[in-house]
Amino acid sequence: MIREVGRQAVLLAGLALLPALAQALHLHDRISWQPPAADEVTVSRAKEWGDAVMWLDARPIDDFNSAHIPRALPLNTADWDSLLGPVLNSWSPARRIVVYCSRQSCDASREVARRLRDEAGLKNIYVLTGGWEAWQESGK
Amino acid sequence: MINNSKLPGWMVVVLRILIGALFIYAGATKAITPLRFATDIANFHLLPWVAAMPLAFYLPWFEIVCGAALLLSRLHRGAIFILLTLTFVFILALTSARIRGIDISCGCFGHAARDLSFGSHLLLNVAVLAVLLFLWQAGFRRPRA
Repeated sequence: MIREVGRQAVLLAGLALLPALAQALHLHDRISWQPPAADEVTVSRAKEWGDAVMWLDARPIDDFNSAHIPRALPLNTADWDSLLGPVLNSWSPARRIVVYCSRQSCDASREVARRLRDEAGLKNIYVLTGGWEAWQESGK
Repeated sequence: MINNSKLPGWMVVVLRILIGALFIYAGATKAITPLRFATDIANFHLLPWVAAMPLAFYLPWFEIVCGAALLLSRLHRGAIFILLTLTFVFILALTSARIRGIDISCGCFGHAARDLSFGSHLLLNVAVLAVLLFLWQAGFRRPRA
């Protein structure tokens, strides 16, 4: 009996490995295998912050114009000088800035967050885990 | 699945289907958001991220496959054994987090159950464990002469 249970358990464990591996391979370039950085925030946590969040879209301006998080402002490194002004006008110390780019593996949000800290001297800046892709998934 | 319990056969079938469907649902809610589930696992502070990520990909499918085995009554003994073990581990991890003062969702049913309290999560897992134990016993106890 024990042998039968063991055999079935091993078979089931092997069966589960197939879709798990397929999914991991499918998503491997869209998911960071590194632990989230301390300044990362998940969609659900950022949503809990409500109106205290100032969303910044670090994707190319065409992507922003196509669709973006409600009330988000565009701020990418390519158009930094022209886009920074409106961002600073909307910013207040009480607000938390959450920057996002396309997906987990993109670096644009990190770069924008770094420049906001280093060049604009702003604080309370977070990077959205999973980016725009995670935001869309959260709405499904 | 042979019914060696005192309960009517249809009741054992209903419980088997319910538990099978429950684990398919629980697995599916987590399989669609592996990164979120990895964060849930990491929040327990029991495993490093390097282990949480692969587990977040594997565990949901493990639950789905075992749930499907129960639903279809194929390889169900192995499935019940695995699900018993998993549920027991869930309960241990949940209790351990509570003792260490970590206020988290267990992630057992993805974020569909994020608003459940610790007590509700624990009760749900204990109820599932009890039904699995019953199904295990129903499938293995020798029939009375």
